[in-house]
Amino acid sequence: MTEKPAIVLRHTGYADPAVLREVCAGAEEEGVPTRVEQVREAGAVALAHAAALESPLETGIGIDGSGGVAVHHASLPPDGPVQRVEAGSPRPDLRIAGRTAARIVKVLPLS
Amino acid sequence: MTRRLVVGVDIGNSTTEACVAAVSGDSVEYLGTALTHTTGVKGTPDNTDGAVSAVRRALDRAGRTESEVETVLLNEATPVISGLAMETISETIITESTMIGHNPATPGGEGLGVGTTVAIDALSGASGPTIAVVGPGWDFDDVATELNAATERGLEVVAAVLAHDDAVLVVNRLRTPIPVVDEVGAVEKVPLGMRAAVEVAPPGRTIRTLSDSYGLASVFELDPDQTKHVSPVARALTGNRSAVVVRTPSGDVTDRRIPVGTLTLRGAGKTLQVDVDAGAEAIMEVLGRVQPLDDATGEAGTHVGGMLAQVRDTMTDVTGQPAAEIRIRDVLAVDTFVPKEVRGGLAGEVAPENAVALAAMVRTSRSRMQVVADEVAAALGCRAEIGGVEGEMAVRGALTTPGTAVPIAVLDLGGGSTDAALLDRDGVCSAVHVAGAGELVTKLIGSELALDDREQAEAVKRHPLAKVESFFHVRHEDGTVQFFPEPLPSHVFARVVTMTPEGPAPVATRHSVDHVRRVRREAKRKVFAVNAVRALKQVAPGGSLRMLDFVVLLGGSALDFEIPDLIADALAGYGVVCGIGNVHGSEGPRNAVASGLVDAHVAGA
Repeated sequence: MTEKPAIVLRHTGYADPAVLREVCAGAEEEGVPTRVEQVREAGAVALAHAAALESPLETGIGIDGSGGVAVHHASLPPDGPVQRVEAGSPRPDLRIAGRTAARIVKVLPLS
Repeated sequence: MTRRLVVGVDIGNSTTEACVAAVSGDSVEYLGTALTHTTGVKGTPDNTDGAVSAVRRALDRAGRTESEVETVLLNEATPVISGLAMETISETIITESTMIGHNPATPGGEGLGVGTTVAIDALSGASGPTIAVVGPGWDFDDVATELNAATERGLEVVAAVLAHDDAVLVVNRLRTPIPVVDEVGAVEKVPLGMRAAVEVAPPGRTIRTLSDSYGLASVFELDPDQTKHVSPVARALTGNRSAVVVRTPSGDVTDRRIPVGTLTLRGAGKTLQVDVDAGAEAIMEVLGRVQPLDDATGEAGTHVGGMLAQVRDTMTDVTGQPAAEIRIRDVLAVDTFVPKEVRGGLAGEVAPENAVALAAMVRTSRSRMQVVADEVAAALGCRAEIGGVEGEMAVRGALTTPGTAVPIAVLDLGGGSTDAALLDRDGVCSAVHVAGAGELVTKLIGSELALDDREQAEAVKRHPLAKVESFFHVRHEDGTVQFFPEPLPSHVFARVVTMTPEGPAPVATRHSVDHVRRVRREAKRKVFAVNAVRALKQVAPGGSLRMLDFVVLLGGSALDFEIPDLIADALAGYGVVCGIGNVHGSEGPRNAVASGLVDAHVAGA
């Protein structure tokens, strides 16, 4: 497989672009690359789990149409994400979602 | 022959144990045991509640009722109260915001930048090598745009200091990467228009220039006098991955010794004084010269004075003896360090400060155990009597450990004090109490790891450590790996945890498993291994541990997973057989006194 290691982020394209930007910034500050994919509407947790299964690092982020965010790992049960950030949360919380995903990859404490 | 029901009760500093036995003639059958928290201070009427509930629980376990009990036996307990105090004896102070020496998780860029500090919105008026200072409220894209534009105008931007956790994001967007230190909470206090240096080391490295006195001298063109002055800065920054140093006219980092008062020790016809900031070794050395200790006092208005006065007051309340009659009979001093936030720091820097922890102990001869016995008798409707002195009973219980013989010494590792008792070949028993035990260990662990939660320190003391390495496995401190079929909660992910019976519990620390383990073992060694030797020397014939054959460890801390090993190590050189008590070959280190009371009762009847 020639796929580059990255956290996969799946979003539906409907949420405020600022949400996507902040979440990506969180992962970038930790130095872990993300690959962004736009997919059809689904819940944040389902998106995150599917993204995790897709990710070479087994870590995924989902952003639903309303801007809710979930962070997931491929080894976890589909309905048990690592973290959820409600739609409409302030920027620092969104940043933390990206940071959490990166820290799962780096095996660092999440908070 | 009729079978009589006898209950032995041992009231200790922190736990009360009861042991139910059926006695007929000189045969004893142990039916059940129970353990509760001691109510009130040991040796005072408040103990009644705990004693009664321990008896009831033990009866419950034995399937017997209160009406069957003939006699309850209590131990003659010396009230021992211990107090703890911690004195910080050094302090790091930064004046005029001279330096920022913290370790943000993710600084940006690498290398050294030396220039003049300028606020980011004033870059247009700047010239020469410049360090941009960025306050809160700036977005990373805007910062990068601003810095790129300044560079394009020809300004030499050599480094930046940020309030937010944005360093990598900013550096990734710069055309020319520069070292950037972020997460500087009090960035508004960085002096502007001053010469400064920013250094960021590559991942896995520590800074080289700003943590070196001559490095600082070269950067700031200092003369030898000034270089002497900045050497504390260099020392304070050693080991960091990133740092900022600002050269202010009178800025300084001082490493100050705090005067903490003196301790006056009186005994053996002498009165000696020792400065608490001389450290534990000096204090214990002076203490050794005044053994046996008659009393200790601390200088009024200092922590030590306050702590010793408080111990005295508690004892006055408990026994009704006037404070003037209460004597501090033992002191244990332990060197420790306390991570303290640096005064004047801009980014919540923490420096390890030296401290001395003190445990002090008082005892009185005036036990009120008879009152407890009367109240227990009334509550349970049976006879209650004082069956024997604690130390003797403990030895008697310990002697039922398979493989032991007289002369035998016991070490009771409690919460507030460490007690030793010796039974020699002539049947003579002697006992001592020394200050410092489980509580002090918890306190040392808590302060050295800066845990604000006592429960967490207690958990670190009681349970082995592990590191959570994935959602499904942990690596124990000994290197073994354990898999879990259910995912571990995310709040323990990648954390150092204690393996409690309820599962892994996080320890709020950035330190490694190795570091936490070292702190834990050192705390136990500094208290229990030191006290084991100290206490045994006081009961051993001629003060020589070589004269002892068997040492039996009793009490709650004898159940600890490593304290018995640490004590055995400390005693190994003296040719002593040391091990964990196993009362009646089945009870482990618990219940020695309670079952010793029953045995003594039967032997005497």
